[in-house]
Amino acid sequence: MVQSKKQKYMFLAFCLVPTFILFSIFTLYPLFSGLYYSFFDWSGSSSNKEFIGFANYIKLFKDAIIPDTIMHDYFLVVTKILGIMVLAMFFAVALTQLKIKEAPFYRIVFFFPNIMSVVVIGILWTFIYNPSLGLVNSGLEFLGLEGWAKPWLGDEKWALPSIVLPAVWAGIGLFMLMLMGGIANISKSYYEAARIDGASEWQQFWKITLPLVWPQVKVSILYIVITTLNGSFILVQVMTGGGPNNSTHVMGSYLYQQAFKQYNFGYGATIGVMILVLSLITVLFIQFLMRREKVEY
Amino acid sequence: MEVKKRLWFMLMITFLITFVVACSDDTDSSSNVGKDGEIAGDLEIQYFVGGYGDSWWKEVIADFQEAYPDVNIIEHAGPNINEEMRSRWVSNDPPDVVYIDGAGSSETQMVEDGQLLDLTEWVAGIELEGGDKLADSFIVKPADYDGKIYSLPLVFDTWGTWYDKALFEESGYTVPTNFDEFMESMSEIKAGEGIDPFVTSGQHPYYFLRGMLYPAFAAAGGEELLADVITGKEGAWSSEQVLEIMKRVETMVEEGMFDSGLGALNHTQSQMNFLLHENTFIPVGFWLPNEMKNDIPEGFDFGFIPSPMNAADEKYAIVPDLRPLAIAQEAENPDAAKAFVEFVFTREYASSFSEHTGAIMNLNGVDLTQNENVPEYLMEANAMINDPDLVQIYEKPHPMSADLETPIGNALISLMLGNMTAEEFVAEAEKAAEEYRTGLE
Repeated sequence: MVQSKKQKYMFLAFCLVPTFILFSIFTLYPLFSGLYYSFFDWSGSSSNKEFIGFANYIKLFKDAIIPDTIMHDYFLVVTKILGIMVLAMFFAVALTQLKIKEAPFYRIVFFFPNIMSVVVIGILWTFIYNPSLGLVNSGLEFLGLEGWAKPWLGDEKWALPSIVLPAVWAGIGLFMLMLMGGIANISKSYYEAARIDGASEWQQFWKITLPLVWPQVKVSILYIVITTLNGSFILVQVMTGGGPNNSTHVMGSYLYQQAFKQYNFGYGATIGVMILVLSLITVLFIQFLMRREKVEY
Repeated sequence: MEVKKRLWFMLMITFLITFVVACSDDTDSSSNVGKDGEIAGDLEIQYFVGGYGDSWWKEVIADFQEAYPDVNIIEHAGPNINEEMRSRWVSNDPPDVVYIDGAGSSETQMVEDGQLLDLTEWVAGIELEGGDKLADSFIVKPADYDGKIYSLPLVFDTWGTWYDKALFEESGYTVPTNFDEFMESMSEIKAGEGIDPFVTSGQHPYYFLRGMLYPAFAAAGGEELLADVITGKEGAWSSEQVLEIMKRVETMVEEGMFDSGLGALNHTQSQMNFLLHENTFIPVGFWLPNEMKNDIPEGFDFGFIPSPMNAADEKYAIVPDLRPLAIAQEAENPDAAKAFVEFVFTREYASSFSEHTGAIMNLNGVDLTQNENVPEYLMEANAMINDPDLVQIYEKPHPMSADLETPIGNALISLMLGNMTAEEFVAEAEKAAEEYRTGLE
């Protein structure tokens, strides 16, 4: 049977329209209504709202906390990319190349944090960091390093770096699996040839493994950037609530505070628009930075 | 042809499901007036369940149901109810009665947004069972918004400082009545127990602000200073009186009285520290014993004093913290709502409130000493509060706005961690007050 043109379009519409409707309701509509509300003075808890033009945006540029939140977000982005990529790459190479007998066991162990809710991870690490009962301080005491013990999450200087650790810990597993997939696709013959030519393990890593898993690395980094800018607020919210004295506020947690705790929903929406713009710029910039010819041998 | 028809059908179904879900019918066809003009119809009640639990509410609502069998009561309750009901308030379809308490609720914000019914005239006509006027029977009068009343204070709570009476009696520590004694007592404890004596929640610095500083401001400058500080009046935070009190906080920091880890603690963690004798003093309201009832160690005996931040020549100060009951402006069944509010405000329920919650309902003339189910700490605290030689009660005009409380709390935690001096703190607070004032214009 030959399909008529009409039938073909009908089929396409059948496949696309429901998805498009859902996409519009759950993505486009909130996106544009967020933009819309950013022009209003609205408490977010009643139907009264007043159009105030760009006043929220002016406030945004004058707000002394905003630059700090942006800095904190990018601090998390950079430290998470470094921490996660280095460790995930190390474990991926170790588990695929070094022929460890317990490899499947480690694969499951490393992936474990990924099936846990971020909130659970946050609460778990709050206990680990607890000044009197926590694992970190008791560990330091056990090693005779009492002087290093601190109220980690309660210290204005150390709270933000303390949040990096659980974020990295929770991220390694997924990216390790992605990289392992990439490494498994590399033909063994390259390594054999390299070995015959006298290349060391390091040289093999730099010249063969890394270039050939570059697409996976790129996707992983982009993914880390996006999830950090959009989602780092969950850990912050659970572990410190943005404190002490705003020292851990990221853009998302500050948005939450303004919109839902200080009843400035319109201003919260404005911060949301800022997050969107910054995320877009960052992603474009990183794509530009990481463009590289696809390598094939 | 058959295929095409089926495809259309599927598409239609998809559309239908989407739109039927989105536009559910919310018109209310039931009548609010039953036979013989009795009060009837649906009555929606929203109440937050926190430290006080919900057993008292269950009792009152069951009694109300019995008294008004034609009313269909719909309860909206829980620890997150303020968030859950927000969309109803936003879409102008609020419940009829609301008890305003807990995170995500703000009486001032609701009044500003015009969400609450003006009760001024109605309240004036209500009488209690003994014939007293309700308006004259409150311990603390309803909040006044330009001469209008929008809410009736239901729960009379107050922040104060808690300690373990058993420990104090056993080790012979003194219970302080002013700041100098407070410092002495904490020094004794620091030496005797080898712990940092004072703890509060660093994640929620308002516990210290409302629990320790409000009484101190009131004791030093009366209701006027308290009101100026809460409304962020120009020069209030940088005044001599405020600076002197903040110096006292700085002294506590310098002498190492604060728990060194408090910056990380949320309120339950700080309360847990207190129960485990990691610390001996904590500022919380009457709800503390009820909130922590599952974790109280054996032999722990709650003692309550008004926060001893007052100077030696001043009396203890108490600043009541009220949680009100209100009726929505857009209530669909205001008659039933009014009937319920009137039903709740009785001395009988006030007494049972203290039994159930360990706190006090905002009605005077309730004799708790006759009720053996009321916890001992509450009777003692109640007696103390009502002794004018010992304690002075100061009323605040209304709660502090979150827009002012948040930045001040942030500076406060820096002060408590020793990263800021008292002078720097008052400068920050004055700046926050200025920004708050410009935000209101």
